[in-house]
Amino acid sequence: MTQKIAALISFLAIFAFVASSAVTHAGGLEIGAMAENFTLPDTDGKTRTLDELKGKNGTVVVWLSAQCPVVKGYKDRINEIAAEYQAKGINFIGINSNSTEDLNWVKSNIGEYGYKFPVLIDKSNALADKWGATVTPEVFYFNAKNILIYHGAIDNDRSGKTVTEAYLKSAFDATLSGKPVTKTKANAFGCTIKRVAE
Amino acid sequence: MHLAARSNASRNSFTMKHVYLNWAKAAVVSAVFVLCFSSVSSGQAKRPLPKKAAPKVAAKPALKVTLVDEMALKKLLVPNGRPLLVNFWATWCDPCREEFPDLVKIDQEYKGRIDFITISLDDVENISTTVPKFLTAMKAQMPPYLLRADDENTFIASIAKDWQGGMPFTALYAPSGELKYYREGKVAIPMLHDQLNKLVAAAATTLPDSK
Repeated sequence: MTQKIAALISFLAIFAFVASSAVTHAGGLEIGAMAENFTLPDTDGKTRTLDELKGKNGTVVVWLSAQCPVVKGYKDRINEIAAEYQAKGINFIGINSNSTEDLNWVKSNIGEYGYKFPVLIDKSNALADKWGATVTPEVFYFNAKNILIYHGAIDNDRSGKTVTEAYLKSAFDATLSGKPVTKTKANAFGCTIKRVAE
Repeated sequence: MHLAARSNASRNSFTMKHVYLNWAKAAVVSAVFVLCFSSVSSGQAKRPLPKKAAPKVAAKPALKVTLVDEMALKKLLVPNGRPLLVNFWATWCDPCREEFPDLVKIDQEYKGRIDFITISLDDVENISTTVPKFLTAMKAQMPPYLLRADDENTFIASIAKDWQGGMPFTALYAPSGELKYYREGKVAIPMLHDQLNKLVAAAATTLPDSK
């Protein structure tokens, strides 16, 4: 009997711990951590992996949305940066984790915005949860060894009119010239990823 | 935003014409009634009204959204003797718009017991257009502000260290200024009620003489 009660208490304690960590979105991928390989379908249903898509000098994983006006405001900058740095060996991978955006919408949006990199569908938002992605657009920049070296906003101005700090480009330029990245995290206002559970 | 695109004026105008046609030959009271509506309706009035009359009457007390920078907002986030609820939102943010009616209800329910302000993160150019239009449609009475932050990253971190910038974002401060509750994404209304009730009860016991 005592054993049963003890087991029940332990179960409840574990349950409470799991529940609380789920609520607070604790964790996520920290700067300096290595990304594990992931497998997600692209918009044609083809299975893609990080290992297959990564660039020889690094990889940017960027959370996108078809409906978010902030992403719309960034689309040209995303395309420009992707074109410029893919030529330097840094590949881009788009992720859509919004449960409210269906495949056709995402596909037509990719065409409309002119992304030249694969966009993968994280339907259950498992990758967003694992890495701690919250908003769109939000970038995770990994070096060639899949170590996270920058996480957050692309730059410090949503409108693009008065960018004074181009966080992501600065991180690229630092790593490509063998220097340490000075600003490894920066937040900006964006659209909250619409998760399945919400 | 689509809602806002349709003008009440045109609908009023239609109603007015309809009423006018039916009541044109009726008593003086009806005529006056029609005339009143015509003046509210729009600038397309066919009646010989003074040209400037329509805009003057139509100019309802427009909702004024106050532009603030980070410094000014930091001062606004200091509670003034009562619990302070703050909602960061934008017209472009779907979940923000979705939860807004619930927040308006919260404001009405706790009026006089808490202070509640809203901070829009819309572009400054929308400060007198889509932002007040939405707030008016929501019948929101919370004092509205629009933030122009030079350094969003620093500002976001200064509000809550694990806020990643997603919106909506709602923060609740105790009268002492301590951040008691916050939520990135839509608030869970029962949870917000609990937090508000606790703070309001605590404020009532610690400040019995406050008006």
